[in-house]
Amino acid sequence: MAENILKELCNRLLSLFRQTEAKEENAKEVACNRLRVVLMQDRTNLTPELLQRMRRELVELLSKYVEMDKEALELNFDQDGDQMALMLSIPVIRAKDEAEIEDALKSDEDAQEDDESEDNDEDEDSETDNSDEDAQEDEVEDEAEEEISEDETEKEDENLSEDENSDKE
Amino acid sequence: MTGRVIVITSGKGGVGKTTTNANIGTALARAGNKVVMVDTDLGLRNLDLLLGLENRIVYTIVDVVEERCKLKQALVKDKKNPNLCLLAAAQTRDKTSVTEEQLKDICNKLKKDFDFILVDCPAGIEQGFQNAVAGASEAIVVTTPEMSAVRDADRIIGLLEAREEIKSYKLLLNRVRPNLIKSNDMMSVEDVVEILSADLIGIIPEDTGIITSTNKGEPIVNDEKSLAGKAYNNVAKRIMGEEVPFLDLEEDSGVLSKVKKFFSNLIGKEK
Repeated sequence: MAENILKELCNRLLSLFRQTEAKEENAKEVACNRLRVVLMQDRTNLTPELLQRMRRELVELLSKYVEMDKEALELNFDQDGDQMALMLSIPVIRAKDEAEIEDALKSDEDAQEDDESEDNDEDEDSETDNSDEDAQEDEVEDEAEEEISEDETEKEDENLSEDENSDKE
Repeated sequence: MTGRVIVITSGKGGVGKTTTNANIGTALARAGNKVVMVDTDLGLRNLDLLLGLENRIVYTIVDVVEERCKLKQALVKDKKNPNLCLLAAAQTRDKTSVTEEQLKDICNKLKKDFDFILVDCPAGIEQGFQNAVAGASEAIVVTTPEMSAVRDADRIIGLLEAREEIKSYKLLLNRVRPNLIKSNDMMSVEDVVEILSADLIGIIPEDTGIITSTNKGEPIVNDEKSLAGKAYNNVAKRIMGEEVPFLDLEEDSGVLSKVKKFFSNLIGKEK
């Protein structure tokens, strides 16, 4: 009986230590990680929005060829000495078969043709018409969003997640 | 004689540029080198205070540039060490009072008479920084293991790399607190070195002795017992080309750590 109580007490004490240790590890690691990201941005002028966009476009491109776990996709910067590397880690579920790839490419080509014709129309209208361009950008973003759907990470900017919510409603 | 011109810079203010300058300069002079420190922080001079020379300044760097005195007249000799001189900044003028060319010229003249010319750089990346760097061929980037200081150091390193005249730069990590690093509350020396990917020339522990030494106007390298003093002396040796291992700052002799060691040994044996 007394032994049990003692064991319990020991375990609690130990867990207390573990908890504080885990917390303390964060302060330093958080600092390192935040610094890496911020320095990357300082050095390359890559803003968080651009990174997010890059990620979105990569997902779009790659999903033509492979089926992947979009939620687990990671886009990070790695530093090895002076060299900066862009690390993309994609958990692949399966490679798509030829028919699927061809389908994807075909629909992509169609979309591109549509885009081009739209572009031409716009050019004819006016080159400096900003409102039209904005509208087009929004369209592109919306499309990308549907593709990624729920794999938005914490980094995703608020605008997009808000849009997402309104879509669901 | 052709002296080495080393600029001591940081980007961020308050990380210990001037303290580093005063201590490395004093340590180099104590080792027998002829050293001159040039304070380029016009309008915010402090190097004179750290060396306890504030009452001896007659002419400043602006007086030299505007030809009110000769360069040699403006050099203030240290109280203790005749090998050590200070060219003070003007307190009543701003950063535009001296140009890059003029500073380059002063450094080139000083090179003939001194082994080391240490240029104390103002904080920031504006004209004051550009001026201070102009005459130098080496740089020491002072930083602390804090995010803002490391970020600014990274910026400074980028600017130094863009300047052809800077042949090499080294990192000096100041105000390191081994206890906080041990408990993972502070970035370690390795973390900072890896993030900035620069060569290290010194690790200086946080030391309350720095405050008292500043108050007295006497650099801490004169205090043989101080750990920060030892660390600065080692930096001076490394500048002179000696290979000196970095001080082991983690070595603590507190009762608690001894008890911890005892228990960890016990557990290790049981396994």
